[in-house]
Amino acid sequence: MPQAEHATGPAGTPGRRTLSAAEAARMDAVRRYDILDTPPDGAFDRVAAMAARLFKVPVASVTIVDEDRIWFKAAHGLEGVSEISREPGLCGSAILADETLVIPDTLTDPVAVNNGLVTGPMGVRFYAAAPIITGDGHRLGTVNILDTQPRLITKDDTATLADLAAIVLDEMEMRLAALNALRTEQERRIEQEEARQRADQDKNAIQAFASTLQRTLLPPALPVVPGLELACHYATASPQNVGGDFYDVFPLGGKRWAFFLGDVCGKGPEAAALTSLTRYTLRAAALIDPDPDVVLTSLNTALLLDPAIGTRFCTAVFGVLEPHEREGFTVTVATGGHPPAYHLRASGSVEAVQPKGGMLIGALAGAHFASLTIHLGPGEGLLLYTDGLTEARTLGGDMIGEEGLTRFLAARTGPVSAAEVIEDTVDLIDAMPHGAGDDVALLALSVPLADAADGLTATATAHSIAPAGETSESRP
Amino acid sequence: MTDFSLTAQHTEGDLALAHVAGELDIATAPRLRAQALALIEQGHRHLILDLGAVTFCDSSGFNALVGIFRCAKTVNGTLVLAAVPDRLERMLDLTGLSAVLPAHPTAAHALVAHTRSQDTTPA
Repeated sequence: MPQAEHATGPAGTPGRRTLSAAEAARMDAVRRYDILDTPPDGAFDRVAAMAARLFKVPVASVTIVDEDRIWFKAAHGLEGVSEISREPGLCGSAILADETLVIPDTLTDPVAVNNGLVTGPMGVRFYAAAPIITGDGHRLGTVNILDTQPRLITKDDTATLADLAAIVLDEMEMRLAALNALRTEQERRIEQEEARQRADQDKNAIQAFASTLQRTLLPPALPVVPGLELACHYATASPQNVGGDFYDVFPLGGKRWAFFLGDVCGKGPEAAALTSLTRYTLRAAALIDPDPDVVLTSLNTALLLDPAIGTRFCTAVFGVLEPHEREGFTVTVATGGHPPAYHLRASGSVEAVQPKGGMLIGALAGAHFASLTIHLGPGEGLLLYTDGLTEARTLGGDMIGEEGLTRFLAARTGPVSAAEVIEDTVDLIDAMPHGAGDDVALLALSVPLADAADGLTATATAHSIAPAGETSESRP
Repeated sequence: MTDFSLTAQHTEGDLALAHVAGELDIATAPRLRAQALALIEQGHRHLILDLGAVTFCDSSGFNALVGIFRCAKTVNGTLVLAAVPDRLERMLDLTGLSAVLPAHPTAAHALVAHTRSQDTTPA
């Protein structure tokens, strides 16, 4: 039977500040199990109770030896004690060796005799402890039994005590495994949550980027043109998809103004890039030579020369406004494969402004364009649109078509107001079961009647941008 | 969802005659384009598209035809249309493409015209 061996370990001396490498490694192992100062646990309590019953001793405990204290994970017969100081003699000595420490009579043991538990009110006379040894050889604490009477135990008894210590270690291993699984699960959940948040942020950033880009493809607002009322409407079929419809009104210097509206084939970022190129080319070309025919020819050449454009092309109406010597405006319009603008009069007359022979822009080298000049008098208007309007489908599944649009416009009589034309046309689209189903851009110009113009301090400018399918309420 | 089919019927040498049926819209236009371009890539650089059974054609369908026309042109081929629906015909007029995209009342007319043009072409 192994007798007391009191090796004086470096950590056994209270008050030591620096730990030996071995004790530091042991403490790392203790911390790994994260068991110090945890609440009582039935499994450990049962081991202590079982030890007390098996050996018929009044006190049995499961201890973990901390750096400077002995902490009781379970204490049978030691009510209210949670820890004691780490002094040599009993547990403090038991964790210094792999073998079970047995002290049959503490009064005859030179070290234990000075231990507080021996000299104190408990008057411990018998002590036996099996170290709890981890797989990698660290002794975390003990399963121990105490009695107030000296006694002897058999070799089998010491083996039983060692088995109980092994059971405690198994319990601690299971607890650690569960703890680790829980931590992994928590980390995984946090990671998932973080990934989800990142994805949301990315999505928002991309959408913000797309809508910012889209805004740069549109004039922020139509300019105020003296003697002219302007209104427009722009809606994309989906908020995510940057549209290929475009329009603009800008000054040419003097009292002349230019306007255009068009449609780039296709959708998405490539179409948006072409839209951008088209708008700036039209603006730049018009400043060099505002002849609408020449402007569209320049755009055709520019699109065909740009290798980044690929096989994309566009259609557009381009016009120049010049105040007429008497009243209203002289309007010169060229079309490039685009549906004609409509010249609206108070009588309800709707006339297509369609120069003969305007071809698609950017599809063919040597495409030719033609222009036409009209007079836009007081009470008259001009409506430009993209085919999202005429291709909107009615309840019966037919498209509104140019015939339907002409009929609709002819039903409106009285002096033409650009804002009202846009408002009514948007109502027409909204009345369709599925809205437009495609991007729609509308631009209207009208010359107020002389008396109405006198009453205006500034020419009305209406502007609405809305996703298709939603009622546009943003018109001032 | 929407019905569409392209059937290549008469394919010999560098000529292909394809019958297009159904609706040409945003859903089917990419298929028209892809299948027609495949015929051109297989060596049928002269393509006749019979549109007699096309029940609907919007700007997406039109855009596909322009794409096919431009692809044929890059390999010195031709795109000829037959039995063009009214609305598409108006779009071809509107865009000035009727000047470069020959259209015939029927596929038979288009075939005859093609044969004649081949006969007059020096070997």
